[in-house]
Amino acid sequence: MVDKAQWRRGAGLAATVLLGAAALAACGGGEAEDDGTLKMVVWGGDLDKETYQARIDLYESENPDTKIELQLIPSDQYAQKVQTMIAGGDGPDIMQVAENVNSYSSKSQLLPLDEYIEGAGLNMEERFGPAGELYTFEDQTYAIPDRSGAMILYYNKDLFDAAGVEYPTAAWTQQDAQAAMEKLTIPGEQWGFSGAGWWAQWWSFAYQNGGQIIDDSGKPAVNTPEVVDALQWANDLQYKYHYAPTASEYADMGPDMGGDPAFAAGTVAMNATGFWGIGGLLESDINWGIAPLWGGKEQAVSAFGSGLSITRDSDNPEKAFEAIDFLTDTEAQTVIIDKAQDVPANIQVQQSDAFLSPAWAPEGLNMAAFGESSEFIFRAPFIPEWEEMQATFNDNLGTFWNEGGDAKTELDKIQTQLESVIE
Amino acid sequence: MSNVVVADEAPGAARESRGAGRRRHKMSSRRKKEAFYFWLFISPWLIGFVGFLLGPMIASVYISLTEWDSFTAPEWVGLQNYTEALTEDPVFWKALWNTFYYAAVSVPLGLVIGVWLANLLNKRVRGRKLFRTFIYLPTLVPLVATAMVFKMVLAPSGPLNDMLGWFGIDGPSWLIDETWVKPALIVLSAWGAGGATVLLLSAMNGIPRELYEAAEIDGASPWRQFWSVTFPQVTPVIFFNLIMGLIGAFQIFSQVYILTAGGPNNASKTMVPLLFDEAFRFYHFGYASAVAWLLFIVIMAFTLIAFRTSRKWVFYETEVR
Repeated sequence: MVDKAQWRRGAGLAATVLLGAAALAACGGGEAEDDGTLKMVVWGGDLDKETYQARIDLYESENPDTKIELQLIPSDQYAQKVQTMIAGGDGPDIMQVAENVNSYSSKSQLLPLDEYIEGAGLNMEERFGPAGELYTFEDQTYAIPDRSGAMILYYNKDLFDAAGVEYPTAAWTQQDAQAAMEKLTIPGEQWGFSGAGWWAQWWSFAYQNGGQIIDDSGKPAVNTPEVVDALQWANDLQYKYHYAPTASEYADMGPDMGGDPAFAAGTVAMNATGFWGIGGLLESDINWGIAPLWGGKEQAVSAFGSGLSITRDSDNPEKAFEAIDFLTDTEAQTVIIDKAQDVPANIQVQQSDAFLSPAWAPEGLNMAAFGESSEFIFRAPFIPEWEEMQATFNDNLGTFWNEGGDAKTELDKIQTQLESVIE
Repeated sequence: MSNVVVADEAPGAARESRGAGRRRHKMSSRRKKEAFYFWLFISPWLIGFVGFLLGPMIASVYISLTEWDSFTAPEWVGLQNYTEALTEDPVFWKALWNTFYYAAVSVPLGLVIGVWLANLLNKRVRGRKLFRTFIYLPTLVPLVATAMVFKMVLAPSGPLNDMLGWFGIDGPSWLIDETWVKPALIVLSAWGAGGATVLLLSAMNGIPRELYEAAEIDGASPWRQFWSVTFPQVTPVIFFNLIMGLIGAFQIFSQVYILTAGGPNNASKTMVPLLFDEAFRFYHFGYASAVAWLLFIVIMAFTLIAFRTSRKWVFYETEVR
């Protein structure tokens, strides 16, 4: 005979396990019913939310039977949240992607869009120019470009005038830039340049030298003389010539100080960054302008942007593509520039008056700098291991950027490590 | 019947005396009710434990034996993740060393500062309540805010180095220097020593005054009073703080993430930031799970060591015969 007390205890435990399992199952099974609503996730802040929502409102007013539910995730949590959504089988219909797009596409989490592109008769080349190929992986397109702007050179007109230096143009070479920096630097007080420690900056120099980070066969090529020279130059500007603030000097300026805030404060005369720099500068007191970045042996500059993709979890990929098609068309893209959020990827909009002389821009701002730069944007290697590649650079170059050092030594180490990271 | 012995330990039967074994198969209605309420009241915790702790833990053992990117199906690799961490990954050993370094310095330092402050605050001085409040205050400030402030405090020409300058010390560039980034994290941890102080202070308040009176009559100096009366009486609380401090130190994450993100050159990368990066930035869930279990073993080992040695120095009054 089974003891009753023991039986009860067993039953109690069993019930607990069952309930526990049910609680877990409930977490996984939280899929919403398909009511034709598209879920769209993007990253960013208030301005991004406002801009995306305004574009969605446009779409909804023309397609009353489709609703798009916008979810904005703070940038630093985006990758993690999206990963959790997809792993839980509850990925969004429309998802914003950027440099690490192929972390997803290589694991077949995004739908290839080529069929839809063809079905909708969308001409990628005509609408986006070279950026149209940005999100292809193994000959398939995984995202439609949405925002896409070159890195540009911001310069402080007052400091240039005071030092008697001509304003920068696309015709400048690295030597011209360095000569200007020298004249613009007042030791310990003012610097000619903000530095180039970020990949988008020093990689531009590497491609200007004719180098590549990942070569055409997909192998890392970071210790070639072209790349080494670029990295060494970028570092020398800080630690050899002192034309750019060192890490210690930045740390002394305040927490989270870098090129953008230092430029806005008028401490550095030139800063290479993306469109977002404009937002901060509109409220600053300095007298500034923008120009395309200088060139080297050839012209090359990196670009920032993002695309819209459809995840494999989408219940309604056709509708999702229709929405993306609309959002990247002229009307909805114009909103991006009207709100001063970013550079729209649509080149017709980039060439329109709405872009070239926006209402919010200060008199005479050279918005054509973006269009001019778009001709020599290099295609950064959006490999599936993008994040690991970045971590490899950051890990090894930490002391190099903080104290100066020898580029060749560091890049040899990085090359070896990248060879094991990238398959 | 062997199951009778087992049933004796059933929670519902806890009140029953051992001699009443024969009538056990028939529960009185009162005991049935008691058992029912036992399961009813314990179930929220049990469900939470099984569903949200035990379940995921078991799952992570499995995941640690696979290669899993969190999207596609996991692939069984056996112990490969463990061997990779222990034999191939230089960052793992660096992170482990960093974690040891941090724990080995910050935990004892926190305890010493805690005991010292508590002892000071236990003296009858003017404004004692005010000081107590001030010393606990840092513990109440959210860590993120503290870390942001410390970025400024630890700047190469920041307030801390200015202060060191008064004594003729040329302060290092703390957060951007490979050698000094870990001491910088320790400085931040010492700032939060007030949490331990409060616990120690309440323990000191509970020490009977007559012990001090007796010691004074015997001519004990204040120093001697501290070592022979105060210290033995607060060792249980010190022990508690040691265990909690060890576990907390091994799991340090937010400070690292906000202050340095692990840099420069991984000099401040500790175990939890390492496994976070592996899981959520590089999509190596299997490897991250293996790292998590290795960390678990390390924490377990140190906690055991602490418990084993505790008999030698922790004093419980109730155990005095």
